[in-house]
Amino acid sequence: MKRCDKCNIVIETKQQYCPLCHQVLTGETDEDFKEVYPEYVSLRRMVLPTTKKALMFLTLISILILGTINWLYFDGRYWSLIPIGAIAYFWFMLRIGILSKRNIAGRLGLATIFMIVFLILIDYSEYNVHNGWSTNYLMPLLLMSCNLAISMIMWIKRLNYRDYIFYLLVIIIFSIVPLILAATKVLTVAWPSIASFGVAIFILLFIVFFFPKSIREEIKKRFHA
Amino acid sequence: MDSNKLTDWFRLDNSGKIFPEVSNQRETNTFRVQVALTEEVDPEILQMAAMGILERYPMFKVRLKHGFFWNYLDHNAKPFHISPMTHEVCSAINPRENNCYLFKVFYRGKTIAIEMFHSLSDGGGVVMLLQSLVYEYLKLKGYPISPDNIIKTKLERPVQEEYEDANEKYYNAKNRKHVPEKRAYLIKGTYLPDNNTGLISGILSTKEMLDLVRSKGLTMTEYFSALMMYTIYTTQIRYRTHLLSNQAPVKVFVPVNLRKHFPSETLRNFSNFVKTNLVMTRDDITLEELFELVHEQFQQGMTKEELIRKMSENVAFEKNVMLRFMPYFIKRYALKIGYNMLGMKLNTTSMTNIGKIVFPESMDNYIEDVTAAVYAGKYNCVNCSILSYKDRLKITFTRSILETNIEREFFRHFTNLGMKVEIESNFVEEFI
Repeated sequence: MKRCDKCNIVIETKQQYCPLCHQVLTGETDEDFKEVYPEYVSLRRMVLPTTKKALMFLTLISILILGTINWLYFDGRYWSLIPIGAIAYFWFMLRIGILSKRNIAGRLGLATIFMIVFLILIDYSEYNVHNGWSTNYLMPLLLMSCNLAISMIMWIKRLNYRDYIFYLLVIIIFSIVPLILAATKVLTVAWPSIASFGVAIFILLFIVFFFPKSIREEIKKRFHA
Repeated sequence: MDSNKLTDWFRLDNSGKIFPEVSNQRETNTFRVQVALTEEVDPEILQMAAMGILERYPMFKVRLKHGFFWNYLDHNAKPFHISPMTHEVCSAINPRENNCYLFKVFYRGKTIAIEMFHSLSDGGGVVMLLQSLVYEYLKLKGYPISPDNIIKTKLERPVQEEYEDANEKYYNAKNRKHVPEKRAYLIKGTYLPDNNTGLISGILSTKEMLDLVRSKGLTMTEYFSALMMYTIYTTQIRYRTHLLSNQAPVKVFVPVNLRKHFPSETLRNFSNFVKTNLVMTRDDITLEELFELVHEQFQQGMTKEELIRKMSENVAFEKNVMLRFMPYFIKRYALKIGYNMLGMKLNTTSMTNIGKIVFPESMDNYIEDVTAAVYAGKYNCVNCSILSYKDRLKITFTRSILETNIEREFFRHFTNLGMKVEIESNFVEEFI
């Protein structure tokens, strides 16, 4: 036991100073004594790896250069959005698609939606030749493939299917969007939207018929107020 | 899914709803209870004990998930892992680490510690969990111990009352008046870097202390709260009362375990608070007058009506239709802004008295010491938690600032009275 005669306290430690008044402690402590609390080791120091720093720097510079050139030689087309979108998509895929610990269905859903946004961006930045390929074909077909992919994963990894149901429901709800657009004649080609919606309804009915309890539980959980 | 319960997910309780939104690296809203055994802890056996006991506590075998309107606690099928203790005290619980569990179990030397996020439970719940864990550990070590109806063992079944949100049960819509509060005085100091937390415990004799507080006709919590106010006053305010920041009232926030006031078996948050409140703009405030004041303020704050009013005020906020049906991604900002405006700066410091920890007699031989600690953040720089185990009264200060003069004056008060004080510290100041 050591003691601090200023604070009049005793303390068991190998440190030399009183934690209260920082005066030198007197007395001896047992050799075998182990401090109750561990020593400080820096754990949370955030230092980005050089590669990541370099990539981020490059990204920023490229975006600035592209934007500036587009603005200086502006001919009515926002072409710089295409490479900028591609760079953003690269970071997005790295962060959410690959490095994220989110469950696979969520990642797939997010990646699909981001992909659709990116493709629509490409389509519409070419304002002269725009013919709606992204909205007519890619949007419904990508949603359809995402639907199928999540269903396949659920089918194969049967264990945790309840975690995926929510994402499946979200994608199914999203599949209604192209159908509405097709019905209001915004889209010129209707069959991909109808096919996509058909697949979504098929999957939904399948779950409702064969897993009614899981879907009820999941909806109750996610939407309790 | 367990056969003995109907669902495997839980709504967050009333107080649990706010914490996920307002917690970050700095305001972590975690707290710790730790037990020191008489011998070195064997990590492998502790791991087995932890896995075994989690089956008994489905309430803690959960992860936090987002719903459309509210967050909720969902059954967590992944395994729970214990970890060696780091220097961090009550650091933020990162849901991405540790398989999304909202609490951690640490071991080091003779010590077993549980750190828990406040959304899950309060001090009462975590003490129960720790007792069960230690029981299970000692049982696996092969010692002859018995639970004596004090400890919930893994052989019993959980009962439905353990999951209930008791705040809602005692909610009274007619008694929910909102009483506006003034901002409190905030302790000044130099923040420790990297969100580190300093910890200083003082160990006193429970018996001596009881004699002392009873001679004044007070309870322990009242005595300590008054002393805390006085210490803040002498170290931070006295002779500087002209300063604008010192015009704010000093408020010591004292959580009240409502399980002792209302019958409930719940493991979830079921606590409320009383506060001391005094603008200390005189140069001659004495400790004796603070004793009187705190005694009076606590008696007023602890009446059943007042406790139900404070409880109902919170529940009414949650039941507000506007907030309730606001989608979560908007609601989180509403909660954050509301808490920043109302909740954060209303307390000078918090003083948690967990009370007497009781283990079955057969276990007492294996347990040396129990400690509790709460986080210290940006506004509540110095917090204090107290518990007693046998004749060891342990007062633990956690701080997010470098200065230790509040702790020093607090303990010197007792040494000046001739009491023996033993100090423990994590010596954070030696390493930065």
